[in-house]
Amino acid sequence: MELKSNYIVSVGGGGVHVVNTGDWRTKRPILDQTVCIKCGSCLLYCPVNSICKEDDSFRISYDYCKGCGVCAHECPKNAIVMILEEGK
Amino acid sequence: MKQMNAVDKMASLEDMISPGISACVGCNVELTLRTCMKILGKNTIFAVPPGCMGGVGVVGWDTESGAKTPVFFPLLDNVASMLAGIKLYYERQGRDVNVVAFAGDGASTDAGMQCLSGAAERGDKLIYICYDNEGYMNTGYQRSSATTKYSWTTTTPVSAEGRGGKRQHKKDFPMVMAMHDIPYVATCSPAFIPDLIKKVEKAVEASKEGLAYLHVFNPCLTGWGIKTECSIEVSRAAVESNFFPLYEVEYGKFTINKKYKHPKPVKDYLVHMKKFRHLNAVEVADIQAMTDEKWKRLEQLAEL
Amino acid sequence: MQRLDVVNGNMAAAIGASLAKPDVIAAYPITPQTPVVEYLTQFAADGDINAAMSEVESELSAMSVVTGAALAGGRTFTATASQGLALMYEPYFRASTLRLPIVMAIVNREMISPQSVWGGQQDSLSVRDAGWLQIYAEDNQEILDLVIQAYKIAEDKRVLLPVNICYDGFYLSHMTEKVMVPEADKVTAMLGRYHPEHIILDPDRPMAVDPLTNGGLVMEYRYRHLKAQQAALEVIDEVDREFADLFGRKYGGAIEEYRMEDAEYALITTGSMSGAAKDMVDVKRSQGIKAGLVRMRMIRPFPKQRIREALAGIKAFGTVDKSVSFGCDTGIIYQEVRAALYGTYGVSSVPVIGGLGGEDISLKMMGEVIDAIVTAGEQQQDQETIWLMVEEG
Repeated sequence: MELKSNYIVSVGGGGVHVVNTGDWRTKRPILDQTVCIKCGSCLLYCPVNSICKEDDSFRISYDYCKGCGVCAHECPKNAIVMILEEGK
Repeated sequence: MKQMNAVDKMASLEDMISPGISACVGCNVELTLRTCMKILGKNTIFAVPPGCMGGVGVVGWDTESGAKTPVFFPLLDNVASMLAGIKLYYERQGRDVNVVAFAGDGASTDAGMQCLSGAAERGDKLIYICYDNEGYMNTGYQRSSATTKYSWTTTTPVSAEGRGGKRQHKKDFPMVMAMHDIPYVATCSPAFIPDLIKKVEKAVEASKEGLAYLHVFNPCLTGWGIKTECSIEVSRAAVESNFFPLYEVEYGKFTINKKYKHPKPVKDYLVHMKKFRHLNAVEVADIQAMTDEKWKRLEQLAEL
Repeated sequence: MQRLDVVNGNMAAAIGASLAKPDVIAAYPITPQTPVVEYLTQFAADGDINAAMSEVESELSAMSVVTGAALAGGRTFTATASQGLALMYEPYFRASTLRLPIVMAIVNREMISPQSVWGGQQDSLSVRDAGWLQIYAEDNQEILDLVIQAYKIAEDKRVLLPVNICYDGFYLSHMTEKVMVPEADKVTAMLGRYHPEHIILDPDRPMAVDPLTNGGLVMEYRYRHLKAQQAALEVIDEVDREFADLFGRKYGGAIEEYRMEDAEYALITTGSMSGAAKDMVDVKRSQGIKAGLVRMRMIRPFPKQRIREALAGIKAFGTVDKSVSFGCDTGIIYQEVRAALYGTYGVSSVPVIGGLGGEDISLKMMGEVIDAIVTAGEQQQDQETIWLMVEEG
């Protein structure tokens, strides 16, 4: 019998499994830097850790963003709007 | 902790979870997990029992992991005991490692309550984080002892005439853990991230003396019927209405973290979710009364 | 020099465990196992062992705590019986399928209902297909020796499976006998330290333990598990020989054969009943009946080849079971022996059930059993199940 795994028992020793959740989006958040007051709420509330702080400004990454809209909803200045994803 | 300190912290700490997991869009449990694990860091072994986080791949698939630290599936009913065994061995080796549970209310207030209570009583040096989404959400939103009264769930459904829902009030589990007189118990909310961060840090310290327990209130967007973008707004409403007050207990000494001069009516919280759509005025008043009673009890405990 | 001691079976198990120097011990009481955990916690209090003790709140936690400690890389020990074993079934099945070399003593006790706290082998035999190794002791010396040997077998890289050392409740656990206690340093040298390479929870070597797994991989893991069980058959013989070299006591591996060389009628027993059985074999031999005895030591894995070799050329056998196989109208070990003999012809048998709930199996009863085996051989026919009931008055 040919065995595919080298493991004798159920372990995940082969690295980290990554799901391409960026593909899920139907809307994407766009941040208007001119309106942004740099409070960082969007970063704090993003469930997929897709907002980062570079120097003094905030940037949204679209690799894993699921388009939940929480960042837009929580932004105190409405600096983030959700626009329809037009597909890659 | 000031907001900007929290932001800088979260911006600079490494995300210990796989960047892509299959949690529901907007899930605030995913937010809670990533936040807590940034603080806990690399020197952590954590247990994720069967449930939402396990189901979405935090432990992994086949031969791949869902996290960058050691992670495992305990059984639904023995989370705290398996962790106790791990911690005992590391203590014996003189090695300091964070030994952490990230478990739902099903595993904590229902099936795994015995093991959790036993570990708390024995003083096992664990950090136990319960994400309370009021039900067995991963298997399709069945009720648990943590479900609020009148909630629609798939095992406490509502008739065509709008009558039904869970028949019992929510089990006050943070209070149960507080009565174990363990070093640290705290209630947390994903709407109050700086507060959550501070409490995770305190839990790490407290776990050097015994069991530290964090109870996070996570409104379930899919299971309760909440618009995804309202995830944090609803979580905030739960706190601001005193439905889920934020407090800490250190060896039985209570401290309330957030006191509102004019707490929102509970109705403002209930209105956001489909699971309460069928409620009539009497039922809403019942939940308000329970909320007020619990708050009064909490205030009295804080004065001791 | 091995020292002489006079101990009951529970103390023998506790001494064996302490010599193995476990890292973590979980302690929860249940009749007739309770003294095991009492002795171990006393050893810890006296500083005689250096294990971390966890006084858990149920057997579910007992198995869970040792599983956690084993996953972290530690050597572990616990003990239970009957209801406790049933209660821990969920983590028990996992301990073997996660390939953790935990050693657990099972003090064989009847399963409830009806309410019984006395001896019977139903408990461990009911869970024989949960992937653990199971070895049964006849006397207290064997209990002590087996607990030590269990670690050597379990931690062997060809095996990496947990081991149950099973012994009869009250008949062994609470009966006092003379034992020779192996020297601590020699045991330490024999066992070494446990260093897991196949599974670990350690931030220095991050891996996920037991991710969600597809069916193809499930089959691979089960395949490897079954092969490891088969490998254990060889390992138990090797350890038996190594132990004999070090401490002068040999048990014969998976089965013990007594006067089987030219036997025509074989009595198959397990555990403490074997003492009376061997005496009756001698009585029958003196009457001209060519009786012999096979004592089952290893039930898992089942030593099919050894059984076939031992029973080759006999006319009939009988199995005395302290258990019932509910669907088969016989005891459990009877079924296992018959399955092992499939394909051999000209052997008749008689299933015997006795000793449930602590009932005595007397010398006289053993005589009746051998008579029934002879009848089976003469009639060349399998007999109806015999129930050894104690006579009134």
